[in-house]
Amino acid sequence: MNIVVCLKQTFDTEAKITLDAGGKIERKGVSLIMNPYDEFAVEEALRLKEKDGGEVTVISVGESSAQDALRQALAMGADKAILVDPGEAELDEYATATILAKAISGLEYDIILGGFRAIDDGSAQVAGRVAEILNVPVVNVVTKLEVEGGKAVATREIEGGSELVEVALPAVFTAQKGLNEPRYPSMKGIMKAKKKPMQKMTLGDLGLEGQVAAKVKALSYSLPEPRKAGKIIPGEAAEAARELAKLLREEAKVI
Amino acid sequence: MSSNFIYSNRDHKFILKEWLNTEKILNFDAFKDNYEMDDIDMILDEGLKVAKEVVAPTNIDGDKIGAKFEDGKVTTPPSFHKLYQFMQENGYGNSQFDPDEEGKLPTLLHIALEEFFNAANPAFHPYIGLAKGASNLIELFGTEEDKKRFLPKMYSGEWSGTMCLTEPCCGSDVGEITTKAFATEDPRVYKIKGTKCFITAGDHDLTENIIHLLLAKCEGAAPGTKGISLFIVPKIWVNEDGSLGEPNDVTTVAIEHKMGIKGSATAMLSFGDEGTCRGILLGNPPDENGKAEGMAQMFVMMNGARQGTGLTAMAIAQAAYNYALQYAKERVQGKSISNPKGPRVRIIEHEDIRRMLLFQKSIIEASRAMIMKNSYYIDLSRYSNDPEERKMAQRRIEVNNPLIKAYPSDMVWQTTAEAIQVHGGYGFTEEYPVAQCARDSKILSIWEGTNFIQSLDLVGRKWRLDNGKIFAEWFKEVAESIESNKDLEGFAREYEIMSKAVGAYREIQGFIAANFAKNIKIVPLYSTRVLHATAMLWGGSLLLEQAAVALQKIQELGENHFDYPFYQGKVQTARFYIRNIVPEIFKIAEIIKDCDTSAVDILEEGL
Repeated sequence: MNIVVCLKQTFDTEAKITLDAGGKIERKGVSLIMNPYDEFAVEEALRLKEKDGGEVTVISVGESSAQDALRQALAMGADKAILVDPGEAELDEYATATILAKAISGLEYDIILGGFRAIDDGSAQVAGRVAEILNVPVVNVVTKLEVEGGKAVATREIEGGSELVEVALPAVFTAQKGLNEPRYPSMKGIMKAKKKPMQKMTLGDLGLEGQVAAKVKALSYSLPEPRKAGKIIPGEAAEAARELAKLLREEAKVI
Repeated sequence: MSSNFIYSNRDHKFILKEWLNTEKILNFDAFKDNYEMDDIDMILDEGLKVAKEVVAPTNIDGDKIGAKFEDGKVTTPPSFHKLYQFMQENGYGNSQFDPDEEGKLPTLLHIALEEFFNAANPAFHPYIGLAKGASNLIELFGTEEDKKRFLPKMYSGEWSGTMCLTEPCCGSDVGEITTKAFATEDPRVYKIKGTKCFITAGDHDLTENIIHLLLAKCEGAAPGTKGISLFIVPKIWVNEDGSLGEPNDVTTVAIEHKMGIKGSATAMLSFGDEGTCRGILLGNPPDENGKAEGMAQMFVMMNGARQGTGLTAMAIAQAAYNYALQYAKERVQGKSISNPKGPRVRIIEHEDIRRMLLFQKSIIEASRAMIMKNSYYIDLSRYSNDPEERKMAQRRIEVNNPLIKAYPSDMVWQTTAEAIQVHGGYGFTEEYPVAQCARDSKILSIWEGTNFIQSLDLVGRKWRLDNGKIFAEWFKEVAESIESNKDLEGFAREYEIMSKAVGAYREIQGFIAANFAKNIKIVPLYSTRVLHATAMLWGGSLLLEQAAVALQKIQELGENHFDYPFYQGKVQTARFYIRNIVPEIFKIAEIIKDCDTSAVDILEEGL
């Protein structure tokens, strides 16, 4: 079984987001991590491999710093990594998916995994687009995955319940929280990671030089309004509740 | 508290990648195939993640549930079991103590990880940490059979280790121990009888067996420390093929109820109640004069344990500081002294809060500088290809060892006190984590040789070792380092203080050398202060080196760089330490030269 995992390097969940002088999100000095939903995908790939054998390839589109996220996946147990440097190309979901699909099309794969969304832009589009370009089915927001005899049965979250989907392979699956508990890289895993192959590609290598451009352009970014301080209502419970109801009605106008 | 455990590895990255010559260590044969400089970040990041996400959540269980003794058995909190297994399976446990382990980390890196884990749960770490010294003793002094018999399962974490020195009658006074070893037909196997107390991780339910390394006296051995031998005494007997035999007549009498590190079981153990406890002698039996080898052997373990103690102290101090810093950034109280009509401000804006924060930060970073520098020498002493360099490093470690045990573990009580103070009344409650930090830290100045013992080791032994040459070389290195930063821009005053401190230290040494024969009591009366003066001199010189690196970096990056606050912080931290802490040396020199003896002159009844 050959499994490809698409992963993205994102800001640390604890990172403080600021805008730079040009109004873009400041990337300098922000610690970067593997998108947590992609960690579920990597873990699932490793579990499938441990059960049925095969090879796990992790792939990312990004600048050289994204190597760290790929290396983390290698340290967890993935076999090889591919990093596609987009160079000067502006990326949106369409462009990223186009690049990923092109790179993956040169690989053998039975299963393609990814997080159902990235925690930074949260667009939840890339994996679906990759599936579309490769002309394979996609099952999104998966919380359980069972693979047997060229088929997969995936449990996915739907509004108010869950849905069981059977699909023929190859197919794309996107991971939701709950799919598994990702492992931590072991010391040995970390040591071995850098001896594993890390293939670096450019758009030229994929025959995409000058062929991909973003279709969507972000006009501006803004930070959310800082949260206002709360109000504490002192006094006896009954008295305070009366005051609270009054404020909710007259000041907050919510009741 | 543990859910919001706060810790950073930024200073470690600075130390490993910008200050110390880590590349040299990684190029030694032991590491060159496995590690490169650009692995450092990942190792530190993943280790810190494990500390935060896996280790820290168990800290509260250690404190609230603690180790328990019921029906003759010691239990540890359930979360400790899961954690123990995780650490062993993922290469963060005993496998790091195996000299042949593939991918063994250099001490420099391993010590950084140990710091994170200790900070995250100081009560858990002994269950792993004590196997380090115990296995090392068997590795160094055991026969090939001993190694095959015990080490594989100690390195896998299936068995843990302890060091059994202290007895109810004697702690510091180890020469007076009464545990006896009686020869049997097998020249290497002895019957053991005696009671040991305060044995850390002495009994617990994390492993199927515990390998005690125990000090006892053979019949006819010389009195005092000279007559002490060292034995491997398993809790459950280990057959020659390494399989488990019968219980070895080691009984847990009780565990202590302590003020801190409650998850760490501190046991009183009785050996040979039934007369069937057996131990295997390490090395040779006492010679014809009754002189035995145990104390020298045990010191190998003690040295490691002393380094670990300083490390834990620094780690707890850092954790407490981090909590205090966060609290100071959030707590709004009072107004700025320069704007009394202005708005209420966060307390981090108050001058005295900043003094308390920088007091902690500078002492922590001085301690870390010493500990990491010493780790660098440990790696040189073990892995350098150059025998002269190995020897040189070993000579430095001799002097460093009492300093890095005692200074951080004395200071952590003061720094956590300030961390509590920053929290105001909340710091005095157990709702906030700093109270536990203080409680957990207090043992560190006491165990592994009290800090007074460390000061005697420094003044009585290390000053005089090899006719004083070892200390003279150490001192020369410190003085030269200070001289090399003579022209550091903006640091003229700091250089002046440091070079005066070198002079004051020489006066201290000179005074004690000239006067101890007249009144030997001045040595124990002043040795603690001498140790502090030594540590502050060394710490100041190392922070000055770090400031030089940081200033250089600021020149390269400029003030608008995102990392500028870190480097500016390093510079100000060094400045604060040298201007506010190091001058203590002058006071100590004055006091020693004044040589007041009122503490010994006062009548006992007058105390």
